Amino acid sequence: MAEKSIIVKDLTYRYGSLVAVDHISFEVGTGEILGFLGPNGAGKTTTVKMLTGQLRPKEGSAMLLGFDIAREPEKVQARIGVCFELTNLYEQMSAVDNLKLFAELFGVTDFDAYALLDRVGLKGREKDSVGGYSKGMKQRLMIARSLVNRPDILFMDEPTSGLDPVSSEAIDNIILEERKRGATVFLTTHDMWEADKLCDRVAFMDSGRIAALDTPRSLKQEYGKRSLVAEVTAPDGHLNRREITMDQAGTADAVESLFRQGKVVTLHSEEATLEDIFIQITGRRLTE
Amino acid sequence: MNVRTIRALLKKDLALFRSDRLYLVLTVLGLIFYTAIYFIMPRHVDEDFNLAMYAPVLPPAFSQLTQQPGTDIEFFQTENELKQSILDGKYQAGISLPANIMEIWASGGKPDITIYYASTAPPEVSQAVKTLVEELSFNQTGQPLSFDIDEEVLGPDMLGEQVALRDRMRPLWAVLILLLETMSLASLITVEIEQGTARALLVTPMRTSDLFAAKAVLGVSMAFFQAVLFMAIVGGFNLQPLIIIITLLLGSFFVMGSGFLLASLARNVQAVTGWGVLILIVLAVPGFGAVIPGLISGWARVIPSYYLVDTVNRAANYGSGWGEVWPNLAILAGITAVLVWGGLTVLRRRYQ
Repeated sequence: MAEKSIIVKDLTYRYGSLVAVDHISFEVGTGEILGFLGPNGAGKTTTVKMLTGQLRPKEGSAMLLGFDIAREPEKVQARIGVCFELTNLYEQMSAVDNLKLFAELFGVTDFDAYALLDRVGLKGREKDSVGGYSKGMKQRLMIARSLVNRPDILFMDEPTSGLDPVSSEAIDNIILEERKRGATVFLTTHDMWEADKLCDRVAFMDSGRIAALDTPRSLKQEYGKRSLVAEVTAPDGHLNRREITMDQAGTADAVESLFRQGKVVTLHSEEATLEDIFIQITGRRLTE
Repeated sequence: MNVRTIRALLKKDLALFRSDRLYLVLTVLGLIFYTAIYFIMPRHVDEDFNLAMYAPVLPPAFSQLTQQPGTDIEFFQTENELKQSILDGKYQAGISLPANIMEIWASGGKPDITIYYASTAPPEVSQAVKTLVEELSFNQTGQPLSFDIDEEVLGPDMLGEQVALRDRMRPLWAVLILLLETMSLASLITVEIEQGTARALLVTPMRTSDLFAAKAVLGVSMAFFQAVLFMAIVGGFNLQPLIIIITLLLGSFFVMGSGFLLASLARNVQAVTGWGVLILIVLAVPGFGAVIPGLISGWARVIPSYYLVDTVNRAANYGSGWGEVWPNLAILAGITAVLVWGGLTVLRRRYQ
């Protein structure tokens, strides 16, 4: 991470007396995918709103691409793309007209709406009214809209929420392509699998604060435990489930003992998920 | 403000306006309806007084009445024929004199004179006929009136040049056309907030001022174009066209401010319709005052649209010039400025 696309210091937002975001600080490198994980009400959306210029921070600062979002929002907004969780398209207009409108607002002249729609899998439906699209198609169009200006930072709020596996994978691939192009991706999600698969680093957000921020691998190493789970048939014929914690002094002996005691039917390794780690750190589930 | 951005937003808003069938249909139908009503209504005011009469013997004073200009009296052979003509709707009132009327007057008695009215006759017709009969009776019996009548005309003396009802309705229709655009504009804005598209716009380099400028241009031009088109079709520019155009332009800005305020009040499109109809009814009241003079009194001046309606009414129907209408225009401009400022301020807060 040579360059920093996002530098956040003590960012705070309050709705009346409720502190939604409480003095959070972090940095995101250029070309990095940062996953922002947390349950509803953790402060994820408020953070995104502040970073995209929709809300003015009450305290602290956020520098995006070298500009202070509170002071020069238009300079930042010209170079970011935002994909919202809830579809907010002009449903009476066609997909092409939706994209052309935003291309004009961004001042993009060399823009091929058809190529972009082809890229997100909407070829052949370009001129259809968006109101007749399925949820997955609308979400793909939302992604296309966020890419109209070839953004340097892409904010994606629950981009695969409620989608079928095929649509989810298509969107995941687009995110990875954007990273490859050099874009920084700020991914807000509930989906630990998606975060684990896509993100270079993940931040756990809880009650307006960042509880942990690191690579998924480091978090697992630091907080998770690896284990072996075996199903063993006992001499009396019963099937028993045994779990052996790995990376401990007695692990090898425990495994040997397992094979001596009975017939091992299945044996596989298990590692902690981000959900497990989130629970361990915050005491809450991601989906609360 | 960025002209390219405003142009893109305008193009989008026009596309959305065309796709909003409710307001598109209301706008087109409204324009057609108001224009059609105008041309269906009588062009002139009939100032003649039509009366049916049954008089087996016609007293000289009554015969003089038939020679009065503007008085149309038809005599019937029987009282039943007179009654039937009133039932058929040919006359609103009829007078039946007894056959021995002259003898009764000669003996100092009081003859029974019957006056028939149609069920649809307004109270002023019955009062007018009764007064007529009393006066003719005085003339016939030679009893001088113990007082002189001094007539004084209050307000513009329109005797002989009455403004036709359809022309008096022009300000009402013009204001209704403008006010419908208030709802249309508010609906466009509310849909953007309700469907979240406003959020998508606000994370682009577009400024809120660009967004409001586009809405303002759309609202003002839609309202102004329709009102001007209507007034042009119905001959509303025959007198004082410049005053009327300026008044309609101010009215269009009035509509814009009202639309912004309505959009910031309403949570959704249903609320826009609900609040909009309420506001429309209140703002249309001065228009009814122009149609039926005397219907509303001085209190109507507290309704902001009064100054719009009254100016259009005076200029279009009575040819009032700048000297007469400038106080109205000044007040209208002031109210419009407050509405636009208030609308922009509240709506900006709602967007943020």
